[in-house]
Order: sequence, then C-alpha cells, then structure tokens
Amino acid sequence: MAILKIENLVKNYGSFQAVNKVSFAVHSGEIFGLLGPNGAGKTSIISIITTVEKPTAGSITINDMKLNQHEKKAKSIIGVVPQEIITHGYFNVEEILNFHSGYYGLINNTVRINELMKKLELWDHRHKRVRQLSGGMKRRLMIAKALVHSPRLLLLDEPTAGVDVELRYSIWQLVKELKKMGVAILFTTHYLEEAEQLCDRVAIIDKGQIQKQGETTTLIQKLTSRHLTLILKNKIECSHPALINYQNNTLEFRVPYSKEMGKFLSELNLQRENILDMKIREGTLEEAFKYVLNQGEL
Amino acid sequence: MNNVKKQELIWTPFLILLSREIRRFFKVMAQTVLIPIVNSFIYLLIFGVSLGKHIQVIEGISYLEFLIPGLVMLGCMNNSYQNGSSSLLGMKFGGEIVDIKASPLTVQHIIWAMSLGGLCRGLTVGFVIFLSGELFYYFYESSFLIPVHPFYFILFCAIGGLAFTKLGIAVAFIAKTFDHVSAIGGFIILPLITLGGVFFSLDNLSPFWIKVSYFNPLLYFINGVRYGVLGVSDVPVAVAFWISILGLLIFHLAAVWTLKRGSYQPW
Repeated sequence: MAILKIENLVKNYGSFQAVNKVSFAVHSGEIFGLLGPNGAGKTSIISIITTVEKPTAGSITINDMKLNQHEKKAKSIIGVVPQEIITHGYFNVEEILNFHSGYYGLINNTVRINELMKKLELWDHRHKRVRQLSGGMKRRLMIAKALVHSPRLLLLDEPTAGVDVELRYSIWQLVKELKKMGVAILFTTHYLEEAEQLCDRVAIIDKGQIQKQGETTTLIQKLTSRHLTLILKNKIECSHPALINYQNNTLEFRVPYSKEMGKFLSELNLQRENILDMKIREGTLEEAFKYVLNQGEL
Repeated sequence: MNNVKKQELIWTPFLILLSREIRRFFKVMAQTVLIPIVNSFIYLLIFGVSLGKHIQVIEGISYLEFLIPGLVMLGCMNNSYQNGSSSLLGMKFGGEIVDIKASPLTVQHIIWAMSLGGLCRGLTVGFVIFLSGELFYYFYESSFLIPVHPFYFILFCAIGGLAFTKLGIAVAFIAKTFDHVSAIGGFIILPLITLGGVFFSLDNLSPFWIKVSYFNPLLYFINGVRYGVLGVSDVPVAVAFWISILGLLIFHLAAVWTLKRGSYQPW
C-alpha cells in the first residue's frame, strides 16, 4: 500500500525550476532512496511534503489523504529528520521530546519517550540542552523526535551526514527495524553505498527531474555491468569487444547482466589450465548514478 | 508501527505549544520579566515621585496615580510584543520553525498559543509593575491605589497584550533579519506606546497634537486601562473598547496572513 504518493510535483522559485514533474510512491515497509547531487531538488521535495514549502503544481497523497485537503491528519503520521540540526535554545532533551510528542497530539507519552532515549543512547543526556550535546547526539535527538509519535511515514533528509561510522551503522540498523515494522521510509543521502545497502527502490534526480527510478538491484543491473578479471598463466591474443583492459597477463572485461557468465567465458575460448585466477565484481549503485548523471560510458 | 496512544489533534498540540511558550519566558526570567520591572521602577522613581511633584495632569489626581496605569500598559504591550517576536525569531534562527510547520499544528494553533504565551508574559510584567506602583503609592500617599473598574483594567490589559503579541508574531515572521524586528519595535511601536498617553493627558497638548493623537491606536488601549484604574480617560471608554478590539482583529489578521503566506524556512 502506497503511504506516500507524489504526482507531477513542480516547484518554481521565480524563474528557477527546483522540482520538475516529479512522481513516485513509497509503500508501507519500503525504503525509497532519493539520490542526486547537491541542488538536485531532494530537500525541496521533502520541504513540500512537510508543507514547509508550497508546491507550484502537482499533488501529494499521504495514506490516501490529499495533503492540501487533510493537512493536519496527514502530517500526524509523518516523522521528519531534517538535514539541518535544530537547536531548541532553552530546553533539554527530555523537554524537547515531550513537546514534540504533544505537537503530534500525544501527552504523557513517557513510555515511548523513555524507550527512544534509551535506544538512541540519549538517556544519560536527557537533562542536557542541545548545545551541550555532541554532533552525533544532536543527530540522535533529531531521530528520536521524528519517531516519538510512531509515524507511518518517515522522511530522512541525509540523516547520516557528518556522523561517525558507529552512529551511521546504528542508524542503518534502526532504519531496517522500522522497515520491518511496516514504516514507509523516504531517504535522501549522498552516500551511495548506504543507499545501495538500505533502499529497496531508488530514484535518481538531477536538475529537479527524476532521471531514473526503480528497484535498486534492477537499476544497477540495467545501467551497469559486472567486471570480470582474469589472471592468465600465459599471454594470449584477445580482441573481444567486452575487453576494457589488458596488462601483465591480466584481462579485464565488462560483462552485461543480460549475458550469462558461463556463456561469456565460453565465448573467450580460453584453456582452463591457462587461468590462474578469476574475480567478478558486481556493478554498483555509484556506477549507475554516475552513468545516469553523465549519460557516459561505464 | 502501531500507536499505543491515540493522537488528539485539536487541543493537545495547542496546549503543548502554549506551555512551551510560557516555560520559555520563565526560563529567561531576568531578561523577560525582571529588566522591564527595573525599568518601570526607574520611571516611577523619576517621573512619578521626583518630577511628578511639580506636574498636575488631571485635577484631583497626582502624577504618580496618573502614571501607574500607563506604565502597566506600557510594560504589558511592550513585553507581549517582545515575546511574540523573540519567540518566533528564536524558532527561525534555531530551525524549530520547521518542526512546528511539519507537525499537525495549524496556523490558528500557532497564533493563539503564541499569543496567549505572550499575554501571560505581558500580564506578569504588568501585574508586577502595578505592585511596584502600589509600593510607591503607599509610601507617598499612605494608602493603596484601588482600581475603580477592575474588570476594565484587566480587559484592556488582555486585549492590548494579545494584540501586541500578534503584531510581534506578524513582524517577526516577515522579518529577514533581527534588525528588522528591532527597527520596527524601536522606531514605530515604542514611540507609539510612549506617545499614546503614558506620560501625559491629551488636555496638556495643543489642539493640533490632540487631533494627531487620535490617530494613534495605542491612545485607546492606554486610556482603557487608565479608565479601569482611575475612572478617568481622555476618550470615551466605549470608543476605546471598540478601537482596541479593531486593533486586535487587524493584528490577528496580519499574523494569520503572514503565517499563511510567509516562508517557514529557517535562517
């Protein structure tokens, strides 16, 4: 079931078109990655879903409710982790979470708040103000705020930007747990290996337009190739069109996913005893991303 | 994820934002409450007691008596305005405005919660200024200043406080820098308040300046409070009431308009 459905979304800032006819859907229990270079329009899309920005055209449906008609109800099921850290000058962690819970219509939500503070390792810092927290702690607080009302749709705008490896890993684990619980997650990130690991589907956006979207593995297979490296005992003559590099008895081939590896090897007519070693490297989302943005050769 | 608790989206978000607003100004009590009180204390000492001995504004009423209700309203309106504007500016500066906008809080929730928060600060400051005035009054007159029409006293303070918090919200929301808010507060609001009859009666002005003063909406707020405390006013109390209500309505609509049309992007 689509929790978030965006159709023909357009956002203009004067003559600059930040978002151009963007359409996609995020389903329950799915992680959808929105990938693109800086200024591609990812944050504009998130800002429009959270109503921080108004769209120029297009429609947004959240859990079968049109956002512009049922704004309050629709927003009550969204959790947001914005890109920028929010400082909340006067209040401590516990107060901030209590307020945030209240904004979403929940009072005396102590059990959930305590659970989140413990899970996100904020418990020992609950009486500290935001400015007393480390960068990682601030990021954890932002995530706790987004989850305080158990949202059905979670918007994560670069949640791992500038965090250490340990925290990044724990955010990944949390995102996977939320997915298992049926939360629909819209995820933007600059780290493509992260998107590849986490996202069921991705959309690659550039200059406000979605260039490609689909299942992560399918997109990788469509847009990239496997790299086959053969290390030979004796040098041979090879002029196969898939050959991309040949140095010191090492041959490197680009093998499309459409071709079976066994068939490809037999095409090479190699003697088995001449092969010292063989490595296959799968295509990556980063390669697919570069391909889409540059429309270049892989 | 299933919600264990059921969300109540009408009163809870509003009450929580209101409680946040009240707790915010109590957290910075020295800045929000004590400084305005010290300022008023100085006004009372210099104008009310020292210079006031030589000033007669209205027959049968001492200058200290005349000054107290004006200072109460000055403190109430100025602090309400400051609360609305500084709270919203803090939200824009710290990015909390995004949290507020992304949550199910409506424009009316935001405006009323912030207005009532501002009113609480305005009334707190006004009340303490009134107590300080009573202290001075008792010291010099050996009796307490008992408001003649306490209902009007509270009513006009409430209307003025609410109106000025809403104005503060509207100004802070459209402001692009801290300077914009300070400039509007310092160059427009404060002169209008002080020239609205806090320190003088219209009877002390020339006919031309009396006519000009009638265009100052704050004259009506201040005289409403003065009527509540002393039973005298430069303008009929009914006129003061309806113009104050009109002011409240205009400032409310200005706040609604800015929050509906303005940008929620943090600075």
